[in-house]
Amino acid sequence: MQTESGVDENQLHKCLDSIMVFCNSHLMLNSENKLAVLASHTDQSKFLYPKAESATAAAPPSVEPREDVISMATGEESNDSMFSRTNGPGSCGEGKQTSSDGRHELLAQLDDSLIDQLKEMILNDSSQDNILRAETMLAGALALALCYIHRMMKEHTKQGLKSRILVIKAGEDSASQYLPFMNAVFTAQKLNVPIDACLLGKDSGLLQQGSDITGGIYLQIPNPMGLLQYLLWVFLPDADTREKLVLPPRVQVDYRAACFCHRNLIDIGYVCSVCLSIFCHFSPICSTCQTTFKIMGRPGKAKKRKLLPK
Amino acid sequence: MDEDGETETGAYIWEGEYEKTWEALREDEAGSIQASVDDIVSRAKRRRLLERPADIRLGMMRHLFVVIDLSSAMTDQDLRPTRQHCTLKLLEGFIEEYFDQNPISQLGLVVTRNKSAEKLTELGGNPQRHITAARKAVDMACSGEPSLQNSLEICMKTLRYMPGHTSREILIILGSLTTCDPGDVSKTIKELASYNIRSSVIGLAAEVRVCAKLCKGTRGKYGVILDECHFKDILMQHVSPPPAATNTESSLVRMGFPYHQLSANVASGETPSMCMCHLDGNEEQGFGSKGYFCPQCKGKYCELPVECKSCGLTLVSAPHLARSYHHLFPLDASVELKLSNISAEVSHCYACQVRLTEQLLYQCQKCQKFFCLDCDLFIHETLHSCPGCANKPPNQALNDSVNNRNNT
Repeated sequence: MQTESGVDENQLHKCLDSIMVFCNSHLMLNSENKLAVLASHTDQSKFLYPKAESATAAAPPSVEPREDVISMATGEESNDSMFSRTNGPGSCGEGKQTSSDGRHELLAQLDDSLIDQLKEMILNDSSQDNILRAETMLAGALALALCYIHRMMKEHTKQGLKSRILVIKAGEDSASQYLPFMNAVFTAQKLNVPIDACLLGKDSGLLQQGSDITGGIYLQIPNPMGLLQYLLWVFLPDADTREKLVLPPRVQVDYRAACFCHRNLIDIGYVCSVCLSIFCHFSPICSTCQTTFKIMGRPGKAKKRKLLPK
Repeated sequence: MDEDGETETGAYIWEGEYEKTWEALREDEAGSIQASVDDIVSRAKRRRLLERPADIRLGMMRHLFVVIDLSSAMTDQDLRPTRQHCTLKLLEGFIEEYFDQNPISQLGLVVTRNKSAEKLTELGGNPQRHITAARKAVDMACSGEPSLQNSLEICMKTLRYMPGHTSREILIILGSLTTCDPGDVSKTIKELASYNIRSSVIGLAAEVRVCAKLCKGTRGKYGVILDECHFKDILMQHVSPPPAATNTESSLVRMGFPYHQLSANVASGETPSMCMCHLDGNEEQGFGSKGYFCPQCKGKYCELPVECKSCGLTLVSAPHLARSYHHLFPLDASVELKLSNISAEVSHCYACQVRLTEQLLYQCQKCQKFFCLDCDLFIHETLHSCPGCANKPPNQALNDSVNNRNNT
């Protein structure tokens, strides 16, 4: 069965494999690295890992941060990959059943949790209409990630925690998410969290702006089969190491605004002083806030008076 | 409390019972009271968030003058190390926050001492210039008496010619209890009111009647600090845009959105050039191909927002305007609920997945999701959008809001 992007159904399975290898490598780089994975669907976002601890389940074995290593490492956390894809009806590959003997406990937990939660999310897809939509709740997932980072930073103030966000995106931009997305980007800038973007499909203007403002890397992958190589090469090193590497060049971001009336990109526009909406030509009434404006005509014209009939 | 120190019941304060304020603080196992202090601080923050009125037109483009008192009263050491040091340090933080929250606004600094006032920096939109000037002001000697009227006159001279759609403001930080003026301050206050200039005062010592009159006449806010934390609080309250005056004009401001170029396209003949912001300096800073080009006159600038020197067009980028949008679409306050009163099964905060152990939860009215106290403060102060609402597709959000309105 073809998914919306017209590739074979094993695409999702292969992408998920690459992402799992990437997550495992991140955790193996340093024993104090931490990871969180979110998935962003068309109508919800969810934490795939770590699973929220329930009161009845046994506490998962936690990795104690070793005090003696603090001085070397900077305890880096990669608050990781929101993974959005086109909403194909139940096109997940078969989850491989691997035994937990011989695997590192943490990595085994991560892999199993990812697969199980993702399966649950796809099987419980509760969209009422059967329209395939390509827009995902990216801004919502970013907001969840930032709250999680904020909580982790508070818990680890002694050691110091440097976080970053990696977005792996195949879907399209959603215009209705502009405002929460920009709020999330400015918050990330304030918290010094770079937002990296790995695009499997079309270019995303929102993510270009977001990664430029926060100082992250934006990359559109020409060949989705090589996803793992790009992930390991470009996105795995942390912020300090990146300065020493030769990475893909910065993308030129178009910061021009789109006018509210036609959605065209404009060079010079008129901004309403009350609601800050942007228009491409002068109009006497602002369409957003209904304020009337003074007409700035030439002084000569204003003085012309009609002769009243006597 | 009225002027004689009587409480509402008519008794004097000392005749009442002792206020055992120390009992509000509780020690935890390690003997630290940090947790209860944090609790009190966050409660105060929540109360302030709730007090902010909604649906009021705000003055988004602001021209603010900050008047700093450098009289001999500022050498007093009740704020550590001296009032002058403390004020200027907090002012640096204020300047950064101000330009962060109001990117298209401008700021100017004025100091007053020895019965006169002088402008430290002109009104401008570059935060670095003001922060450098504030740092230099730490070394300026404090002497003499401040002059309220002279500082107001200096600010008024520049502010009266600002365009009508902007919000004109003065913020005075006064440490002295006296002021030495050449003429009648009331006349100056009336003139300020006629030009729609909103003056607020932060007093460091005690309440002064003339300051109260000034603030009342110009619809500003008057605050007197209790200690350094309170000072920071009051100062940061002035970062958010104030309500606009009723006779502020609204107009369409012509602005340019410059094109950003990372490197010159040598094939089409473009060469590196000098940028307009560093033309006056002697350093080589600013020479290169990188920069923003004004769409009207093609002048190059290193940073935005800026007013083009050659053609007068205000240059901004779309994210700068987007930074101010959260003032216009503020987040509704969430409802405080007790964990025991909730019927639904809620074990984790929706945003950060922490297990909810405390008694108090916060629920968003629109999406009905529950958050812990830390996330609630973070969402309202920094993030400005609710994660629950951002995760709802637009038509579903519309249906839910209709349902909520039908239910209530």
